Amino acid sequence: MSKVFKINKPAEEGLVGFLKHLLDSGKVKGVMTLVKNDAPVDSAKYSVNYSLVTKSEALGNAVPLYPLMPANAGSLLSDLTIKQPLKEPIAVVLKPCEIRAFVELVKREQGHLDNMLLISSSCGGVYQFDVFVNEDMDKKLPDYWKAVKNLDLYDSLRPTCNGCIHFEPYTADITVDLVGNKNLDKECTMYINTENGQKYIDGMEGKSSEAALDKKPLKEFLEKRERERNQLFSDISDQIVGLDNLINTFGRCLGCHGCGNTCPICYCILCDFESKNHEFSPSTYETELSKRGGIRVPPNTLLYHLGRLTHMSYSCIGCGLCSDVCPVDIPVSTIFVRVGENAQKLFDYVPGRDVDEKIPLTKFEKDEFAEVEE
Amino acid sequence: MSEGFEPRIVGFFCKWCTYAGADLAGTSRLQYPPNVLPIRVMCSSRVDPVFLLTAYLRGADAVLIGGCHPGDCHYIEGNYYTRRRVALLKNIFETLKLDTERLRLSWISASEGPRFAKVITEYTENTKKIGPNPAKNKIFI
Amino acid sequence: MAKTNNKTDAKSMKGTVISTKEGLSKAITDFLKQAFEKNCFDTILIPVKVPANDSYAWVLLKDPALLDDANPLAPIMPVQGGKALSSILKHGVTDSSIAAVIRPCEMKAAIELYKLKQVKLDNITLITMDCPGVLPLKDWFKNPDEGEKKFKDIIKKWDDKDVRPLCQICDKFSVPLNEENATYPDLHFGVLGCSDGTGFVIPGSSKGEEILDTVGLTATKEVDKWESKVNEVTTQKRKKRSEAHKALNKEVGGSKNLPVAFALCINCHNCMRVCPVCYCQHCYFDSEALNKPPEVHLMRAAQKGSLLFKPDCLLFQVGRMSHMTLSCVSCGTCEDACPMSIKVGQVFSMVADQSQDAFNYQAGRSKDVPHPLRVFEDEQELDQVVTMCKDILETGEHK
Ligand code: SF4
Ligand code: SF4
Ligand code: SF4
Ligand code: SF4
Ligand code: FES
Repeated sequence: MSKVFKINKPAEEGLVGFLKHLLDSGKVKGVMTLVKNDAPVDSAKYSVNYSLVTKSEALGNAVPLYPLMPANAGSLLSDLTIKQPLKEPIAVVLKPCEIRAFVELVKREQGHLDNMLLISSSCGGVYQFDVFVNEDMDKKLPDYWKAVKNLDLYDSLRPTCNGCIHFEPYTADITVDLVGNKNLDKECTMYINTENGQKYIDGMEGKSSEAALDKKPLKEFLEKRERERNQLFSDISDQIVGLDNLINTFGRCLGCHGCGNTCPICYCILCDFESKNHEFSPSTYETELSKRGGIRVPPNTLLYHLGRLTHMSYSCIGCGLCSDVCPVDIPVSTIFVRVGENAQKLFDYVPGRDVDEKIPLTKFEKDEFAEVEE
Repeated sequence: MSEGFEPRIVGFFCKWCTYAGADLAGTSRLQYPPNVLPIRVMCSSRVDPVFLLTAYLRGADAVLIGGCHPGDCHYIEGNYYTRRRVALLKNIFETLKLDTERLRLSWISASEGPRFAKVITEYTENTKKIGPNPAKNKIFI
Repeated sequence: MAKTNNKTDAKSMKGTVISTKEGLSKAITDFLKQAFEKNCFDTILIPVKVPANDSYAWVLLKDPALLDDANPLAPIMPVQGGKALSSILKHGVTDSSIAAVIRPCEMKAAIELYKLKQVKLDNITLITMDCPGVLPLKDWFKNPDEGEKKFKDIIKKWDDKDVRPLCQICDKFSVPLNEENATYPDLHFGVLGCSDGTGFVIPGSSKGEEILDTVGLTATKEVDKWESKVNEVTTQKRKKRSEAHKALNKEVGGSKNLPVAFALCINCHNCMRVCPVCYCQHCYFDSEALNKPPEVHLMRAAQKGSLLFKPDCLLFQVGRMSHMTLSCVSCGTCEDACPMSIKVGQVFSMVADQSQDAFNYQAGRSKDVPHPLRVFEDEQELDQVVTMCKDILETGEHK
């Protein structure tokens, strides 16, 4: 049995109402959520960004369930709490993989979980930036919500979202029921997962009950997503096996390092690959030229990606941001999720599932991996 | 094609065990192929997998990490972490179907001069068999 | 540098006629092969097709066979050539001499980087060409084969409607003519104003002249037809540029519009990282300096009821501007790398024109004119600068 709380309003409206209540009642000092902003120049479109909101009036434009991830909120929460934990509580609404990212960051001492009410939802995925920037979102959004209700995959989303099998949050205090919920236009259904969650719900207008979570639709969705994931993996396989294919795939890489810099797990302030360590001196160039007829400038294209895989693949939460910021459309996230899955299996690790689960490379067993040594 | 091919192997050896083992092999006048370029590190756990990748992509035919046997690390547990990192790197290589045979981790203690010679001989032979590293003459790495 | 690239009297420019029947690209690579054979240089930095055939990358090559895959007039500019040069020559010079085949804006970036001590140009031959622009990366990757065809057409017709927005309004697509103190490439390939199937190779320095002598192409012909065409196109482009900037100014100028222009910005900093003149290894705006305790963020949020997160998106944009606007060469590489299709290059270029005007400075035009922030005249000048910055920020206009 799970605790359920229902508000008699469409899911997003209900949730915003709850957030307003939290601010107005003084239970939280602030709310981190997606907010719609002014139309950018030369188009009728709006932008959707995360904001830290302290007054409930400012929640008028809040769109906590909007299917977009302008930045991984895990990184943002790290920015917020890296120096110190919050002294007073705030509520945050974020996607399941964003919580996982934050948990991974907390494990790396890049943030604090204290005084945070984590609100998430079963997640239908997020739009690709290209779609958001170039298409009429008001026309598109109904398709999204239809797909979510009907448990359909939807091709305007990030490819790794359609292949995401962690669409239910692991450590949210409150989970808004979206995936497969036919009633989400009429009713906001929230599962209260923790006592912390209950504490904040108390006093809110709505209906509490105990109900068994209907796992059937979620299972059906999981199967669809698993199939899609395998499909993604087999589609990408040709592009990433063997040195030549890797060179082909990353040949167009600009070396902008946007993928790493937006990656929530890649938290280093100065990435090793951007540091002096990997700069070529003029003589290094000449040494390389003594081995080959020519050398790419700047160098280290493949080193960057393979190196980044060794540094973080076991913690890749598959949010897909890296692919979305890549100016040359390299399917970075599909590759990282693919490699990450095997690495995570190797260590029997699910990144971001539990803050007490140690990062694989910071622990060991005395008797393990004997086969690695020869 | 590997006729006359002399592989270049980059070795990262911990100061307390494998590097000392290499010294011992030398002072005991044991014969082993001269194909290894040894790099001394304080502990095998100093080796970031990126060191191995760098050597590999710049054209080393093989890379070798040498450290103390489990339980003997001068820094108590460094080599247990090394083992995990190498497991990870090999796993990544397997997924991407790169030559795992060009990566090797061996525990060789300071007193194991003969084992050092044996590992180097074996590894050199094996690398000869698989041939030169194709990354060596790639332009777009 | 013993041999300077300075030509004070641009009028005396001479060139050698070359055939461009098989295209300017081919003409340049053929020339490079000859010069290579005669040991005019040891290595060449040039865009080369990547193995997947879907893009170009800079390659420093010593094997002349690789020139077959090279394209001096690549249809795209994935990495700005100034940045590529700096990657090789930041920490010193190579023993071997390099010929760099780059676009005019890439040469400008190289010169700025030279003044900022991020590249050494001692042992290098700079080769440029009349540049028709490049295609936006986003268009290119939709269909590289199409792009290749489209670009052939663009070169032929010198038609700029499909090139990057900043290329469309680039008025420095050739070499500086009649400009005081301007720095010339050692060699320039000019095609404008030339009869079909021909072009000029024009030396801009004694080094360039020597190379032409060595390959038996001593420059003796007058190039006035080319010059007058370059001047004509420059005038057209200048007009177009100032119109475009005026329109953009209306759209994004002022403290109200500017945030809107960057509303979609996701703070990825791609723009900064691909910018050739943003050379800092560790950008201030990526640094720990901006980390604040949560109370500070909450306090800031409380002032307006809401705080965009991450905060200071505009601080990054305007801050970056303040660091590098005098060196911005209006290449548009930033815009190409922006995942949110923000007009970041156009905005930066508009501000750059204004701020460079104010200092009577042209980024990348001359190695000898010092960077304005490395010299100053008097207190009064400082006051002027401060007022000017305020004006630009508040009204979007420099009076
Ligand atoms: S990766 Fe999964 S959890 Fe993250 S946004 Fe996509 S579907 Fe949601
Ligand atoms: S974002 Fe794309 S172009 Fe930039 S470094 Fe990553 S893979 Fe390369
Ligand atoms: S700001 Fe943009 S246009 Fe200006 S030099 Fe940098 S990349 Fe080029
Ligand atoms: S590249 Fe675009 S989205 Fe990224 S920081 Fe620059 S302007 Fe913003
Ligand atoms: S000191 Fe030898 S492995 Fe740590």
